[in-house]
Amino acid sequence: MIVSQQAAAPAAPLDFRRAPAPRLDLRVVAAMWRRELLRYRRDRSQWFGGVSRAVLWLIILGYGIGASYTNIEGFTYTQYILPGVAALNVIFASMQSAIALVWDREVGLMREIFVSPAPMPSVTLGKVLGGATVAVSQGTIVLLFAPLAGVALSAAQVLAAWAVMFAMGVLLVSIGTVIASRMATFEGFGAISNGIVLPMYFLSGAVFPIRGIVGLGGFLVELPVWLKVLMFINPVTYPVDLLRGALLSFRQLPLGLDLGLTAALPLVAVAAAVAAMNRLSVR
Amino acid sequence: MHDVSFDVAAGELFGLLGPNGAGKTTTHRMLTTTLAPTTGTMRVAGFDVVAEARRVRDLIGVVFQEPALDDRLTAHENLHLHAVLYGLRPRFVGPRVQEALEWAGLNEHAGRPVRTFSGGMKRRLELARALLHEPRVLFLDEPTAGLDPQGRRRLWDQIGALRRVGLTAFVTTHNMPEAESCDRVAIIDTGRLLVTGSPAELKRRIAGRANTTLEDVFLDLTGRALRDEEATPRDRLLGFGRRGGELTR
Repeated sequence: MIVSQQAAAPAAPLDFRRAPAPRLDLRVVAAMWRRELLRYRRDRSQWFGGVSRAVLWLIILGYGIGASYTNIEGFTYTQYILPGVAALNVIFASMQSAIALVWDREVGLMREIFVSPAPMPSVTLGKVLGGATVAVSQGTIVLLFAPLAGVALSAAQVLAAWAVMFAMGVLLVSIGTVIASRMATFEGFGAISNGIVLPMYFLSGAVFPIRGIVGLGGFLVELPVWLKVLMFINPVTYPVDLLRGALLSFRQLPLGLDLGLTAALPLVAVAAAVAAMNRLSVR
Repeated sequence: MHDVSFDVAAGELFGLLGPNGAGKTTTHRMLTTTLAPTTGTMRVAGFDVVAEARRVRDLIGVVFQEPALDDRLTAHENLHLHAVLYGLRPRFVGPRVQEALEWAGLNEHAGRPVRTFSGGMKRRLELARALLHEPRVLFLDEPTAGLDPQGRRRLWDQIGALRRVGLTAFVTTHNMPEAESCDRVAIIDTGRLLVTGSPAELKRRIAGRANTTLEDVFLDLTGRALRDEEATPRDRLLGFGRRGGELTR
């Protein structure tokens, strides 16, 4: 079938448009990044969720459990989970940004993007970087509670935390994009929250130490092996440990391992997200 | 889809008609490069929709069945994003977006998030957006669904005006009175092409008389049985959105 045959000759270059770049178009990346931020700015419920999680986990659970534990590795419980709660906000924001794709591609703006000549790798990169930026901003809400948790932060510590949270955001938005690309329908965030967000959170060393807890008598109560295995498989474990290193100067894993995986995993994940989006754009 | 073959001439307003489940949206998606045909070839503006998808995307404008706008962005932001996606040179972006807003009659509402717009305003914004990059061929999938008579009239007036300046338009619809104004139509059902021709020609050929309506021709060809379809995952998603589901805005 042929629609409008007249233009069999190559189209004359149009003066007001330029030929789109084959892969990387920085203006497209920037426009997609900006879209994520504009959406975030107009979504008060997401902002409220970020504050609410900080209060629930850090203040209520932190002080509640802190009353029965004297310390974890020399920190109060509230101090210990501060990096973990920041990570929880990063995980939540990243997954929300990624899973919105299910809706977006069926009945939202993504259909318009798929029929446009914009290069899909740039679209994906813009979305991932935008989602990661939103995630950093959600994580920063928790850092604002640091004085309440009795943690004093220097500017350098905050900068290091931003870098780690951004890497974590890139990793998780990309993983979420791959998951979203395989979801046919979406009828609530509950399944994502209980099936992905919370397991990633609980198995990351965010709420209890990887090596186990030193009991009152000074004995180390080790974690069961199966639990440890799950924690080491969880890609979030390493950035969470690095984040705790940045905020509390305390780590449970070797620095090289943390740094290496925190930097490398997001790159692999972005490549997977680009492939997933390419598959989606032509089915 | 089987054995569907037709040509659309440059500058023509072509209507693709069919009952629910006939394959209209599937054809629309294949022609706009987001669904690859398993066999056969399709060319749009001289380019193959699979091998030269990027060239095709460059030359077409698309209006979807349900608005493909970002509800949380303003009209201006939606148009701006479109301009970047289609590679408008930076100095043309501002003026073109402004022109499109005026053309759609949405100048006063440019700074409002699209979620506060009525269905008709969204449709006008989408049409203006689809034309912002001066496409050679315009694809519209059920463009008047959900519009009031005023909105429908304005949309067809605008499409009519565009034809006079040489734009080719490909419209899928099951609204027969509207299809009367097409230069030529194709009627499809269950993925097969039944007939093509101008509305007048089809009335003569199928109904045997000129003083009938395209609707009668259509019902003659496709029968009067109701077309019940099962809800697809997409329909369920739409329902979830209508109920105000989370993460859908």
